[in-house]
This record gives sequence, C-alpha cells and structure tokens, in this order.
Amino acid sequence: MKGASMRWSRRITNFLIRATAATVFVSACGGPGAEPPPKAAVPPADASTEAGAPAAIDPLGSRPEVPMPAPYTPPVPVSYTRSNGMKVWLLERHALPIVSMQIVVAAGSGLDFAGKEGLAYATANMLDEGAGKRGALDIARDIDQLGAALTTGAFVDYSFVELTSLKKNLEPAALILGDVVTKPTFSLVEWKRVHDLWENELRARQSNPHAVASVVAQRLVFGPSHSYGHPTSGTKKSAANVGLSDVMRFYKEMWRPEAATCVVVGDITQSELDSLLDKALPAWTSHPNEKSGGKRDKRDVQNVAPPNASDRRRVVVVDRPDAPQSVIGVARRSVSASDANAPLLARVNGALGGSFTSRLNQDLRESRGYSYGARSRFLFMALQGMFAAEAAVQVEHTGDALKAMLGDIEDFAHSGLTNEEESKTRMLARAELVEAYETVEATARRLGRIAGVGLPPEADALASKLMYNATKQDLSALANQYIDVTSGIVVIVGPRAKIEPQLKAIGIASIDSVGPEGE
Amino acid sequence: MAIRSSIFALGCGAGVLAYAALASADVNIPFSRSTLPNGMTVILHEDHAIPMVVVNVSYNVGSRFEKAGRTGFAHLFEHLMFMGTRRAPTKAFDAWMEASGGSNNAWTSQDRTDYYDVGANTSLDLLLWLEADRLRDLGPLMTHDKLNAQRDVVRNERRQTSENTPYGKVELRLPELLYPASHPYHHPVVGSHEDLEAATVDDTKAFFATYYDPANASLVVAGDFEPNAVKDKINRYFGAIPSRGKPIDPGAPNFLDTKTTLTGVVREAMEDNVELPKIIMAWQTPRHFAPGDAELDLISVALAGGKASRLYKALVYDQKLAQSVDASQDSGTLGSRFEVDVMARPGVSLDALEAAIDKELAAVRNAPLSGAELERAKNMVETSFVMRAESLRERAALLNMYEAEVGDPGYAEKDLTRYRVATTTSIQKVAEAYLVPNARVILRVVPKKESGK
Repeated sequence: MKGASMRWSRRITNFLIRATAATVFVSACGGPGAEPPPKAAVPPADASTEAGAPAAIDPLGSRPEVPMPAPYTPPVPVSYTRSNGMKVWLLERHALPIVSMQIVVAAGSGLDFAGKEGLAYATANMLDEGAGKRGALDIARDIDQLGAALTTGAFVDYSFVELTSLKKNLEPAALILGDVVTKPTFSLVEWKRVHDLWENELRARQSNPHAVASVVAQRLVFGPSHSYGHPTSGTKKSAANVGLSDVMRFYKEMWRPEAATCVVVGDITQSELDSLLDKALPAWTSHPNEKSGGKRDKRDVQNVAPPNASDRRRVVVVDRPDAPQSVIGVARRSVSASDANAPLLARVNGALGGSFTSRLNQDLRESRGYSYGARSRFLFMALQGMFAAEAAVQVEHTGDALKAMLGDIEDFAHSGLTNEEESKTRMLARAELVEAYETVEATARRLGRIAGVGLPPEADALASKLMYNATKQDLSALANQYIDVTSGIVVIVGPRAKIEPQLKAIGIASIDSVGPEGE
Repeated sequence: MAIRSSIFALGCGAGVLAYAALASADVNIPFSRSTLPNGMTVILHEDHAIPMVVVNVSYNVGSRFEKAGRTGFAHLFEHLMFMGTRRAPTKAFDAWMEASGGSNNAWTSQDRTDYYDVGANTSLDLLLWLEADRLRDLGPLMTHDKLNAQRDVVRNERRQTSENTPYGKVELRLPELLYPASHPYHHPVVGSHEDLEAATVDDTKAFFATYYDPANASLVVAGDFEPNAVKDKINRYFGAIPSRGKPIDPGAPNFLDTKTTLTGVVREAMEDNVELPKIIMAWQTPRHFAPGDAELDLISVALAGGKASRLYKALVYDQKLAQSVDASQDSGTLGSRFEVDVMARPGVSLDALEAAIDKELAAVRNAPLSGAELERAKNMVETSFVMRAESLRERAALLNMYEAEVGDPGYAEKDLTRYRVATTTSIQKVAEAYLVPNARVILRVVPKKESGK
C-alpha cells in the first residue's frame, strides 16, 4: 500500500542511480570449493520455551547449521554477429512464454558532444516519439494494446531500447522496436515538448537531495571536462544548448549496427530470433565510409590512476536550508569494469557497505541511530569506476556521522576483512547472482549492461569464479588499495549554517560551497 | 495492490512495466495449506527452478490497530522484531542470516505487517528457526536500549522518506484529510515523532502479546525444498508455540467502504521544498476485492498508464499543462483510496490545471471508455500480474496477501477474473458512483516562498 513503511531501503536511495544505473557491474561468486559459513553457535543452555521461564529441553534446539549451497555459475548467452555487424546475445529460457530484448549501442553520456551534455539521453528519449508510420501516441497505444513494454534510455557507457513481451505478441511488438531503432521521425513538434519536459525535470532535480549529492559527487570525482564528469541527463545549462539537429547527428553517428548488441532472453530459439530480426531490422545496415560510432574517447584514460595520495580530501556543501537531514556522500575514483579486480571489489564492498550487516550500516544505523541506512558501492564503467558511500543523517549529527563514516572506511581500508566478512561476502555475492538471473527481464538487463560496458558475454561466469577464489588476503589488499578516501571527496547536501560548525568541530576547516549541479 | 519490495540489485534501473494479456493465462500459484494446532496458517509452494527459498511471515496487524497516542507503533514494532532474543541476541538475526547468504526485509501497511527472508536452498532450516524464535520469545525480552535504538532509526526513516523527499509530506497529511479522526486509516503508517517518542517498553510487550500470536500469523515457504522434511521442521519449530488466542480485529464498525464520509471538497495547500507544484486528488473507494475495486484499478490505468492514457494525452501531450501524471487505486482491507497526482509545468495556473483534470474525470463518469481503451487497460493489468509472478519472492508475498485478504491463497485466478469481466458499462457506473467531484480531497503542494526561484 502507498503508506506502507519498509524496514530498510535495500536500494541505495537515489544516489548515483540516475548517472550510472545500468553501468554498475555487480559481480558475484559461485564455483566449487566454498568454505561453510561460520559454524553454528550453541544456543545458551537456558533457552526457554516461554521467554523467561527456563525449561529443560528447548523445542527449537540449537541453531541449524547451513550446508554449503551448490556452486552457482551464471548462464552464458550464445553470441554471434549478423551480416550488418550487429552482435546478438541469446539466452534461451522456455519456462514462461515471455521474451525480453535489448538493443544496446555502445554510446552513452560519456560520448555527449562537448557543451551538449545530456545528448545521448535526449536522443534515446526521442526514438519512441514517432517512428516509421507511427506518431508518438500511436507507438504507446500499439505497444500497450499488445501488453508489451517498450523503454528507451541512456547510461554513461551505452544507450538502449528495451522490449518485453509475451511470446504470442512478440512479432508485432518487435516490428515497432525495429522502427524505433532504425526509423525515428525526429519531429520538431515532438522535440519541443520533449525538450520542455527535460528542462523541467532538471529543474525538479535540484530539490531532490539524493540526486543533488549524486550529481555533485560525480562532477567532483571526475572533473567537469571528463567524459564521466556530468550527469547522464545533463545540466540545466547544457540542456538549453541541445537542439534537434544535435540529436539527429548523435543518432546518425552512434546508433549503428556495428556498435550494437541485441540481447535476447526468454522463450525463443535462434532460428526464430533470426527470422524475427530479419523482419524487425531489415534496413539497418552499416555505412563503413561514415564516421563510426561507439568509439570511446580515450582522452581521459590517463586519469584512471587513483588520485595522488598527497591530495587533500575536498569537502563541499550544497546548502539546503531547513532540511531535517544531511545527505552525506564520500567518493573517489576506481577501476574500470574490465579490470580484473572489479569483481573482487564488489565482494570487498559487501563487507563495508553492501549489505545490512555491513560495517557502515551497522555503525550509523544500528549502533548510533543517526540514519535510516548507510551504504557504499562501486560503479564500474568502461573507462574507469567510482567508489561511493552514502548516508542521510539527522542534521544534528552531521559532524559525528561524517567522522564515523570516514573512520569506518579508513579502518576497513587499513585492516581489511575479518574471517567472517571473507565468508559472508562470498555467500552474499552468490545469492545476489542467483537472484539477478531469476527473471527474464532482469537477466536481459544484466546482460545488456555487460554488453554496454564492453565486456564479453561470459563476463559474469568468469567473474564468479575469480571472485569465488579470492582469498581474505587478496580482498584485504584490494581494500587497502581502493577503499582509502583520504584524497577523495565529501559532498554534504543540507543546511549549511547548522553543518559548518559541526564540521569545524571534527577538524574540517576548509569547506567549499557549490550549487545543486556542482557549479 | 501490495507494496513492491526494493531489490538490492545494484544498478537495475526502475522500469515501468506493462505486459500483454494471456487469454488463457494460467496464473495460479500451486500451494498446499494447513493449520497448526496453535492456529498458525502454513502455506507451502514448491518450485525447484532455482536453488533458492523464500520464507514470508504475515501478521494481521498494521497501523489501523494502533491505540490513540501511539501512531506509528505497528511499524516501529516491525523494526523491533529484529532486536533479538536469548537464542539470537541483538544483531544475530541479520548476522546469521547474511552469513549464510540470506537477506531479509519487512514492511508495514495500515492492515498488515509482512516479513520475508530469502536464502539459499540449504538455509531454510535456519530461516525457519529464526522466525520461530522471535515469534516465540521476542516480546518479553524487550528493553529500553532496543526500543531506543530502533526509535532513532524509525524517526530517521520518517525524515528521509517523508520530510526530506520532494512531495514526501503528502503521505503524512493525506490520510488525515481523507478520513475522519475516528477512522482507523486517519493517521499515516509511519506515525508522528511525538507518538514514536512516547512509546514504552510496556507498550511493546503488550503489543507483542496481543498481535504476535501464531493464530494471527501466516507462514509461507516457497521455493526449492523437500516438503516432508519442511513440514517436520515447521511442526517442531512453530507447532509448540502457545497461542493466547487470535486477537479481535476491531475493523471500522461505524464506517462503510462504499459510503464516503466526505461531504464536500476538502481543500488544503502545503508548502514544500520543491520546484514544481503538484495537485493531488483523493477519494474514499471500495475495499480490496469488493465490487468496484478492480474497475477502479482499470480506471487508473486508462487515466494515467502510459502516454496514450487520458490524463497524459490531455495534460502533458496536448495542453502542455502538466509535467507528469499518476493515478492509483490503493486497496485496503477496510476501504481504498483512489488518487490522482499531477505535477504542473512551471508557470501554469493551478486553477486551470485543476479544471483540466476535472474535465477528464467528468468524461470518465459521463461516457463509457472505448472498447480499445478497456482492452489496453486489461492487457496491461493482466500481464503485469503474470510478470510479477515470475519472481519467487513475489509469489510468496501474493500467497500471503490472498490468505490475509480473502482467506484463500489460491485466489489468483479469481482475482484476475475480476478484471477480465469488467465492462465499459460497469466501469462507468463505478466512476459515477465513487469518483464524484463533490466528495474528495484536493491537496496542492506549492514551492516554498523563500526557496521558490
């Protein structure tokens, strides 16, 4: 129900979601040779049948031990290339008559033209605003009539069109998908409306403290001129600069079959799929003489190295007068999605801020009561990644909470994982992977993300083994190398007048002020 | 419809899903049901597709059972259920579960409190043992320290999800405007800071003794397990928990879900730290599964489901008055709330926007939907149902929802039939009867003066 309250928000509120949602690469483990979780403790001898009333025999007995679950290795899709250069990843799954497909092109907001930030996002938004013979409302009406769902969007490293449909309606739905990908109308009338809505959305973003923290952290971690330094949906200033001609140029350069992967999961065979794609994408051909889209800009790769350890940590405040909470973000750069350490770092994070019993959540929420929840995560993108921790805390405890967060992070970076954490993170990573591949649509999205950040179809299967075999020493060494935030950045969105004295009290004297887009 | 859990799948963008009708969809979820001697309901749903199990325990208690001066208590108590016993001391419930690769969450509504655990197929005994342990022993072992720890967490939850989120304060105020003070749905689930502060350890012990009783609980076990072994474990762990008797559901004897208590238009404007104003309209409508409830779901889809919907097309697409539109039938045990939310574009007159919304609502009352519109809405509702049931966790939640609401976990097919048999005529009648212009709440959220740009 609408008014229902959850025990905890398992998702990291909104932090960084807009910017990087589908680029996150969560690896998990599986594979042979796991060690069991901690042995069951023997319950106290006086455990009672009625609380407080000792009994000779406890009907519940001692805590059940948990045998090691069988290894889980994620499925690997069949992959091949069609004559137009488009790659196809197919994972057949015939339990339910459902098919989910994604056309992913390797061009996201990282390839936005300079000064036109948000262009990849705007382009994706325009694809279903009229295509082929259908106007914008016709597309929506026909897709709804088929009971299908069609979504377009962009992330940092890629753009996508997603279709999920019952098998019996797949062909007519896929024909619409084909039009959207290959025959967008780009009508000026529709553009005007889409552009207005976009600008309003950016305006509204300023009053969402989690979105603001995310935008500012991203800009400060990567810098405004870096491919990843701006939000996927752009800024108020850049959106004003984007015109329909930019959208058409971006589409022409980037939405090309040789830059695309078609990910398909569900109740369909390869021959059925090939016949479907022949009908849905008949005219999508490559033009080798034109500028090839989807090439990642390598200018920034020199900056992949972690920031110089001698850099001081930068602290910025975005003023939000009268807010009852401060949203605190702590962030730094990290490795790319293709780095061999990425899957292991996802497991490292499970101990620090990636689970309910993680150090950050236990400390800030359960022990100190400052927050509804504290989290951290790695975002692994094609060129490089980012580590970010976040908590929304009661304003009166902003200074104490920041000190505790930084203390927890530094302590973890220096001392690494405990034996319990080493075991727990393996088990949790395995569980996350099992769930990630449970439904057809979730599986298609995950594979779409893997394709979108430039990893091979077997990435999760390989990662699960790598992560599985990592030792406590391996993980602790990575914590030491990639969790340290002494030269990272701190963003606080909250009432500056109340926050500043608290920061001074914990020894932070230099505080910068920035606006809600980090400017 | 029941709340959806947020999933810790990092990075999965939220997608708006709508799926096509299956003329002959088999939406039934196979199950077996039994009752333990202490009155506890047990529902098993076996499925070996993935090596996972889900345990869902639903207690028939929510915010509508709260005493005066203790708003928010049912939800606060939900948090306290994780604070430990002798066998599983404070923090052990989560620590042991996550050590085995499991995870959990819980939610509280006006009507129910629902706990679920997800784990590897090898962890089922542990999950059951932990749930049985807290049902058996938790209340009498409550302490000030445990209570204070979760009181702080819950007050921060209120700050984070309501007070510091754009438009979040609507959910705190709307129930108060929609229902009279004597109605059990009058106060928000999360409660007031004042009442949360006032809660005592004695309150928690009494609440546990009354409502956390096996006769007031339903246990669903779903997934990859061996039924005979699980039945033995359930009998052993839960079967000997003594019942103090099923608590009485006070209901709302002086109210009828089919007869609104509103006698006019209740208007209010609130300031919030937002950029764009919003108009929220709300009506009292028939309870979950009562005649009219499914029609109102279909109306919400026809009004605001997708770009081709009536409100989207009229307000966002054609007239360019609105930034976004939303509509929902939020179904409850005692009654439901039909709600329309429209965010204005900058500079638009809210009076003009309200008139434009009213015009669309009048059209739904005054003439039937087209056949194509109804078919679209039915397809979207039906297939979203089919897709939801792909997830084991959702199936477990649905079984307990049907058990709690209609006393039949196998109600899925009948539930869908309500939508299948709806006609353009029945829909128009329901719109005429319930979405009336002169008995509703109209709440406006406007940007704060000092922060308005």
